[in-house]
Amino acid sequence: MAAATLKLGAGAAYWGDAVEPAVELVRHADISYLGVDLLAELTMALLQRQRLRDPSRGWIEDLVPYLDRVWPPAADRGIRIVTNGGGANPRAAAEAVCARAGDRGWPRLRLGVVEGDDVTDRIDGWRRDGLRLGNLDTGEPDLDRIAGRVVSATAYLGSEGIVEALAQGADLVLTGRCSDNALFVGPMMHEFGWSFDDPDWDRLGAAVIVGHLLECGACATGGMSSQFATVERPWEIGFPIAEVAESGEAVITKLPGSGGMVNRWTVKEQLVYEIHDPARYLMPDAVADFTEVELAEEGPDRVRVSGMRGRPRPDTLKALIGYRDGWIAEGLVVVPWPDANGRAEFARRLFEERLSVAGVDPLELRVDRLGVNSLHGVAAPAAPADPAEICLRFAVHTATRAGAEAARREITHVWGLGAAGTAFGSPMRPREVIALWPTLVPRDAVQPQVRVSMLEAGR
Amino acid sequence: MTLVRDLAFGRSGDKGDTANVGLLAKDEAAWQRLRRGLTPELVRAHLGGIVRGEIEIFEMPRIQALNVVLHNALGGGASRTLRFDQTGKAFATILLGIELPGGTAVGDEGADGPGEAPSIPRGGAESER
Repeated sequence: MAAATLKLGAGAAYWGDAVEPAVELVRHADISYLGVDLLAELTMALLQRQRLRDPSRGWIEDLVPYLDRVWPPAADRGIRIVTNGGGANPRAAAEAVCARAGDRGWPRLRLGVVEGDDVTDRIDGWRRDGLRLGNLDTGEPDLDRIAGRVVSATAYLGSEGIVEALAQGADLVLTGRCSDNALFVGPMMHEFGWSFDDPDWDRLGAAVIVGHLLECGACATGGMSSQFATVERPWEIGFPIAEVAESGEAVITKLPGSGGMVNRWTVKEQLVYEIHDPARYLMPDAVADFTEVELAEEGPDRVRVSGMRGRPRPDTLKALIGYRDGWIAEGLVVVPWPDANGRAEFARRLFEERLSVAGVDPLELRVDRLGVNSLHGVAAPAAPADPAEICLRFAVHTATRAGAEAARREITHVWGLGAAGTAFGSPMRPREVIALWPTLVPRDAVQPQVRVSMLEAGR
Repeated sequence: MTLVRDLAFGRSGDKGDTANVGLLAKDEAAWQRLRRGLTPELVRAHLGGIVRGEIEIFEMPRIQALNVVLHNALGGGASRTLRFDQTGKAFATILLGIELPGGTAVGDEGADGPGEAPSIPRGGAESER
């Protein structure tokens, strides 16, 4: 039985996002689903690093305290949660969630775990079979250059596993890497009874676009906004809600009384966020077309979104191959007036000479002046001739951990051996770089591996 | 002198080594001025050597927005870049500082008149010059 209007809320946009807006939604909003996006490309690299060190980690551990606050009120009101907090290890995440559900006496929970995005152990076989895994960023035709350094490979799944878990009665769906919008497309497909067997691509395109509007949470309700000066109480921001019709048309809104705002500017800002060709937004569930999308403000904090279109989903899935790519050392040094510019130049020279003395051969070295040119580069407006202080940021990419440790030490030497008045912040611990190699893999080679398993937890 | 910021608001972000900047025209006149005036060449000149790949500009006429896509602009992507702004969040604000040539006022339509939207995409050929 298809719902007339399906209401979905956003419960997070990234690992570490504010929890209060999600708690408010599950307590007070008239929603049926909460989609909780905890992943980003950068996050997946961090998680893969964690899992390499400890096979029980590599998932979003904040998910457990998050659900401590969000699941009991959601359960009370029959709200189902879909999250990608499984990260690089959904099985371990599911076990930890079940353990906490028991310890804390959560309301009974049927947990659906979606696996199959991890294709790390298939790379060698694919290569033997002649599949070329070209780099979508650099254009390199195959990954020969990095083949010996690959540590992970993750395909972006669509919503099929989520739909299956919901059909099996999951209250909480826990996935690894899927497209962010699939957290919302899945519930729409399940509730409206849409199917890939007889697809209406315009509706699926619409679902992808509505998911895109929700997946970044506060970014659609006045967060990170050019309108920030007129946003109401951003410290109490409300995450977005979509009221979706069976046609795919939707109203974007938020919980009355929450901070933030929803108007054509905040929705446009999210519409254009992190897309490339707006006529061909390639996602695992559909190719969405944004070019005919129209927005209409139809009330306070209510924007109607219509005109979405879609085309058949691609035969390939995007995958990110993580590979070891050296180490990064980073630290800050602040030099004062008078002649802060001269002192900054002196500090830079000193650092470069010290690297040479210490035998560190950087793959790349970057020295920024924070507050002057770290964001703008050559587009920076002219700096004051003699500023009171300059904050230098040294960043060094090295091939080895030892090189990064040495570079980190040399950042402190800029203070110890440098000009009078030079202050320093403790350099960060060097971090290993897991670089990402974006590529395409055949859908048919991944989809059959997707598994959904159900677990019971809570009282 | 017309700056992009006189005409538009912006939002930027990343995917891999590619950054994109959505520029949202403030009104119809600003939209016409923006879509005629902003070119990949202007963007590249403003950003110096930051963008190592192609620059594409796509139009979203219904919402009067341009999407500027900057390939190979993030030092290899967020997990490996040495950039302080790892994910390109500041690119939008930086592009708002571009000065558009010609016409001195918002609403100056130029020679070809309003309403003839070029096909989409229109900026993809820049690297083939």
